[in-house]
Parts: sequence; C-alpha cells; structure tokens
Amino acid sequence: MKKLTSTLVALATLATAVAADSAINALKITKSLDKVDAASSVWKGAKFSTVTLYPQTTIEFNDKKANELNADNKAVQAKVAAVYNDKKIAFLIQWPDGTKNVQQGNKTDSYADGFAVQFASNYANPAELPYIGMGSEGRQAVIHLQKQVAKFYEPNGNGDVATQVNPNQTDLFEKDLKKFNAKVDTLASSDYEKSYVGEGFRSMTEIKDGSDNATSSMAYGKKAWSGTLSSSLKDEYVDLNAAAIPVAFAVWDGEKMGRNGLKYLTSWTAVVLKKGDDTLVNALHGKIEGDAVKGKDSAVANGCTGCHQMEKTDAANLMGPSLTNIGGYSTVDYLRESLVNPSAVVVPGYNRNAHSNYAWYNVTEGKRVSTMPDHSWMEKADIDNIVAYLKTLKAEVK
Amino acid sequence: MSKRQLAMVMDLNKCIGCQTCTVACKTQWTNRNGREYMYWNNVETYPGTGYPKNWMELGGGFDAAGDLQPGVIPNLEADYGVPWDYNYDALQGGASFEPNVEPTWGPNWDEDEGAGLFPQDNYFFYLPRICNHCTNPGCLSACPRDAIFKREQDGVVLVDLDRCQGYRYCIAGCPYKKIYFNPKISKSEKCILCFPRIEQGLPPACAQQCVGRIRFVGFLDDEEGQVHKLVNKYKVAIGLRTDYGTQPNVYYVPPTESPAKFDADGKIIEGSTRLPIEELEKLFGPEVHGAIATLKAEMKKRKETGESELMDILIAYQHSDMFRLDNNYYQQVAKENGQHPLAPVDNRYIAGKHTKSGHEMKFFHGGDVKAGGHH
Repeated sequence: MKKLTSTLVALATLATAVAADSAINALKITKSLDKVDAASSVWKGAKFSTVTLYPQTTIEFNDKKANELNADNKAVQAKVAAVYNDKKIAFLIQWPDGTKNVQQGNKTDSYADGFAVQFASNYANPAELPYIGMGSEGRQAVIHLQKQVAKFYEPNGNGDVATQVNPNQTDLFEKDLKKFNAKVDTLASSDYEKSYVGEGFRSMTEIKDGSDNATSSMAYGKKAWSGTLSSSLKDEYVDLNAAAIPVAFAVWDGEKMGRNGLKYLTSWTAVVLKKGDDTLVNALHGKIEGDAVKGKDSAVANGCTGCHQMEKTDAANLMGPSLTNIGGYSTVDYLRESLVNPSAVVVPGYNRNAHSNYAWYNVTEGKRVSTMPDHSWMEKADIDNIVAYLKTLKAEVK
Repeated sequence: MSKRQLAMVMDLNKCIGCQTCTVACKTQWTNRNGREYMYWNNVETYPGTGYPKNWMELGGGFDAAGDLQPGVIPNLEADYGVPWDYNYDALQGGASFEPNVEPTWGPNWDEDEGAGLFPQDNYFFYLPRICNHCTNPGCLSACPRDAIFKREQDGVVLVDLDRCQGYRYCIAGCPYKKIYFNPKISKSEKCILCFPRIEQGLPPACAQQCVGRIRFVGFLDDEEGQVHKLVNKYKVAIGLRTDYGTQPNVYYVPPTESPAKFDADGKIIEGSTRLPIEELEKLFGPEVHGAIATLKAEMKKRKETGESELMDILIAYQHSDMFRLDNNYYQQVAKENGQHPLAPVDNRYIAGKHTKSGHEMKFFHGGDVKAGGHH
C-alpha cells in the first residue's frame, strides 16, 4: 500500500510537470514603445499568459535570517504580456506581492522589491541556451533589472566630492544650507534601473554606456506589482528579430530580504513574434518524454543524492547544486545536457573558497571541468526518465 | 593569498581608549555620504557588547572544515546606533539643545563598564579594531559578484564599488563585522588600510595619530621590520579570534599586566590578578600563554640587564621604525602593472569584462584613465 501511495504521489507530481507554462504570444503593434508603463495604451489587445516563478534554491547564501525567511518558499505565478513594433519589444509582468518594499537610504537591512527580464545573446540552438542563472561561459545573457530603491547616490566619477560632506560640517546656515542640500538632492538617483551582460552571475558587468537602450517601470497596487520593460529588438548585445525568442523573468521580494540569488525565476520561456517556426516553442514547452517514476528510481540507483539535494526532504549537500527547484527553472535540454556533458554548463556557484572541500569544478587549461561524472553512457530512455523526474522537482504554486 | 601582506600590530597594554584613532579615521573617511554610522576603526571596551552590538555572536567566518558560516546583517538603529546630531540651527532662536533622534544605542554605549564588581575585582581593557585584511577573507568568499578583492602587492582587502551591487552577503560573511553597507550609495564599504596614504609611504591615519603609539605597521615578510619581529620572531602579537578561520592580519600584543583584586576590607589580595586569562584565551587562543610568558621574561630581562630588543620595540621610540612602509615599492608595482598608483579598482573589471565599450575611470589626482573595451 505504501508503495502504491508513493507511486500515486509521484504520478500526481508527474502530472504537474506536463502542465508547464505555455509560450507567450507577442502582439505586433505600430504604436511607439519608447515610453511604456503598465498604464500605457500599448497593452490594449495584448494577450496575457501565465508564467510560474520558482524560488532559486540552486545556491544557498550565507545570510542566516534570509535563509530562514525563504526556507519554505512556494512558487509565484505572474501574468505576462508582450508587444513589439519594428524597433522595440516591451513586456508587462504582473506578480502578486503582499507588501511593497522599497530599499531605504537610511537602513542597513532593508531590501527592495524588483524584477528582471533576461535575454539570450545567442539562441540559434534552443538546446544550448545560456544557463538560466544569468548565462554561462560562452553563452552570454543580458539582464534588465529594476529595483525599488529610495534615492541613492552611486559614485558617478564626476568628482562632485564637495557635496559629499555632512551638511553639519559645512559652514553654511539657513538659506545657504538649504541651497547646499538642494544641490546634493539633484545628485541623487531615484530610479534603480540597470542592465547587465554576463556569462554567469559572478561575471555580470553593468552596461553603463546606455547602449542597451532599455527603459523599465514599476507600479504597485492591489497587492501586486506591474513591471514593464521596453528594449530594442537589436542592440550591441542581442538580436531579437526572430520568429520566437527565449525570455526569462525573475522577481525579488524585499520583505523576504530578496536580492541577488534570493529570488523567484522562470525557466526560459518562448515569446512568439511570428507564427510558423515552432522549434523554440517545442523545445521549451513541448511534451516531456520519459517516465518520472522510473526516472526517480534511476536517479537513486545512480547515486545523484550523493552530491545533490534532490528533494526538500533530502539532506542539504554542498558538493553539487541543490536540485529542489531545478524542474521549475530549467529546460528539458539543459537537464539532458547536464547529464551527458556536465562540463557544458558549470553553475558558477559562489566563491569556491566558501566551501573549499567541495569543488563543484576544477579549472583545467582555463576551462571549468565539472566534478560530476559524465552520464552519456546511459541509454536514451533512461536519460529521458531522469530528465522527466528532474522536471518534477519544484515547489508548489502558492 | 597575496604576494606580500601588510600587517598591523596593536599593543593592548598601552591603549588608553582615547579614540584618537577613531576620530582620525572618521574625519578622513566616514563622516559623510552614508558612512556616518560606520566606524572603520573603533575602540571598544572588553568585556562589553562591542561594535556592532555583540558582533562575536553574529556569525560569519569559517568552521574547522573550511565552510563559510551563515551570518546576520546588523540593524542600524539596534546594533550600530544612529549617528544623531543636534539642532545647532535652532539654538539661535533660543531653542533648547536637542538631539535630532532619540539616542537609544551607539558605539561605546557601555564604555568602561567592563565586568566584575567595583572596587573589588572589576576589570576591562580597550580593544581597538579595524578590518583585519584577512588572508582568507570571509567577506570575499561570501561575495557572489567578485566585487571584493585582495591586492597582490600588499594583501589589502578592498571593495570594487563598480562591481558591488549591495547584496550584503559580505557583511554576513565577515565574523568581525568590519564591512558595512552604505545605504546611501547601496554598496558595501570598509577600512581600506588608508592605501592612498600607504602608497605614499605614510602609515594609516589611525596608526599615525595614535597617542599611545600602540600601532606598528609593516610587511610581514620584512624581517628587519618591527611587525615581523613582534609577530614571527617573538610571537607576542596574535590575531583576534583566529578560530573564525579567516587568518586575520591585525595582531595584538595581549594585555599582560592587570592590578590585583581587593578583599572585602579593601586590602590587596597578593598574587591575584583581575584580568581572567580565560577572557584572553577566548580572544587570542591558547597562544596567549606563550606570548604573556615571553613578555614577562623580556620585561624581567630588561629590568635586570637593561637589554631587550622586544621591550625596546614595544617602547616605540621612533615612528620611522614603527612604520616600515616603502613608497618606492608601490611606485615600482604601479609601474610594472601600468597602473595609476591610486587606482582603487581591480583592473580585471576596469573595462567591464563583457561590455563592448569600456568605462571611463576618473581620479582626483593625475590624468583620467580611459580603459579600453574587451572583446
């Protein structure tokens, strides 16, 4: 009986794996997308799709309080619409968030709500997309981020040091002091909107020269955020002129001290611009072959848990990335590739020095070589089964 | 590990808790622009809550197996203390002198309290603390963005503000809580060991201004230097809480002398000592016994023979001997690497590793450095 129940449970989770998010259909419009927010008329007629964002659990960070707050995170569902014209593409993402969190300029432990949209620089082969966590070696990703940060004074290299002093240490009073404070005020930024390009999150570099040409907005209401991004279809880093493009979304919850990897993210999701070519849609949203129940047995037999935490009930393991939500934010092809060619994408991980006894990878001739053994010797059916099982590893939707 | 390591030794027997170092550091670096609450250099009373409050209990550092331990990011009001100010402007109008926030906590809130009962057996000493510029920094290991780096030429640990995104894992990872979040710029900042001074052959401001002359600064591998002698030759200077596994590079000569206790009648209890050795063991490990024994033996030797190199060093006759800094060395390093000698940026990222056009870096002195983009 016990075995039967566990089989039934496994079958039930298998069913959720099949019911994955579908592709997003972008609407072609003629209106300008230069200035877009959630209230813009450009969204009229756009079709909303549901995307599921899973808590990032591949890497655990060293913030004790944050880890406690995020220990039992469920997945979040968001609605996404996409529109494009000849030059630009815009996204509207709406996700539930019970609290509005703005990072304050006078607190050391306040965090921001935020969202990000990720593009792949090269998506010609949907089986080899950049790693979902901000790209991977040789597979570049571009990320547009907006966070709710109160006024901040990022060093701007303009040498305006004279205004950096504490107003009480100037010799100014009354009118002059007010003038000084007003000048300081003009140096603040109140829009934390950034774009990055990287091959894995350690390597991300901010695009500061404006060449990304992207703008975003965030608005809060009715216990939900609406975020928009408008970005060029083609810039120095990406060319989105295609029948379908892979896009990934992430959101941060400041209430749970969310920042960096403490976030919720989708898997690569196909955004269809023109009908006719289903290659990407099938790769990202097609039917999953393989039998998850058999796959679990195979995973156990092959000793995956020796290095990976597979299910939440397994003990945490520092040797390999935790896979507790891997099914939520990975593509089938990524999972398959990781089994047959573990070094193709090596999750950058946090600083290896943080856990010097658990080397996820070694560097040989400048190339990262995963310490995970290659499983290309396995039969295709067996690999399919394991991949089907891995696709079931994800948190429930809240 | 860096090629060379600059280190500081602080002689706790001579620290009088005057906070001149704190003020020197604050006026130089932290009195503005979101750093007001930070004390890159602080002097706390030990035993006491320290700065930030109970920092030894906030996690970070490594366990015996070498795994980074989770930590807690202190709260500004409760743990660091809000830097309050006064209503100077309103005084002209006859208002009473009031702080702008109700002070509820601040560094040195429990200054000079210590432990024990006055006058029988109370005790305390001062513990000046700066960033330890660790050989195995917890902050660096915690950073998911490679924004913290240890300089090859002297082991100074710095934050690359261009890469820092204000995630604050470094603060959780540092067991000494000597890296701080600047909420105004949304980035982490820390003691820079006054590297712009050091590169010009000057000691850090805290060491230069120390009235008790308790601070020695020099390269650990400089065998002629007093730092090397105190740390390696005589082994009387020991790292603070080396059990955190970060291999700190600020060393302390432990307090060796403390007054005897009084009995109920106020009479001296002969042979007693107020400072429990267990407290020193907690801070400096079992090596503290050897260090104290050496210090006492050398003190005796000096009394009897008038000779002791160690005592001469600790007397701190000359700044020029206490601070062994070589600006020629830095000029040579900068020349070899084609760097601006004041460039506070890890040059791995000056160009923006994956961006097509480089960032322009501006410095306050000298010409602008334009970094080319990498393809």
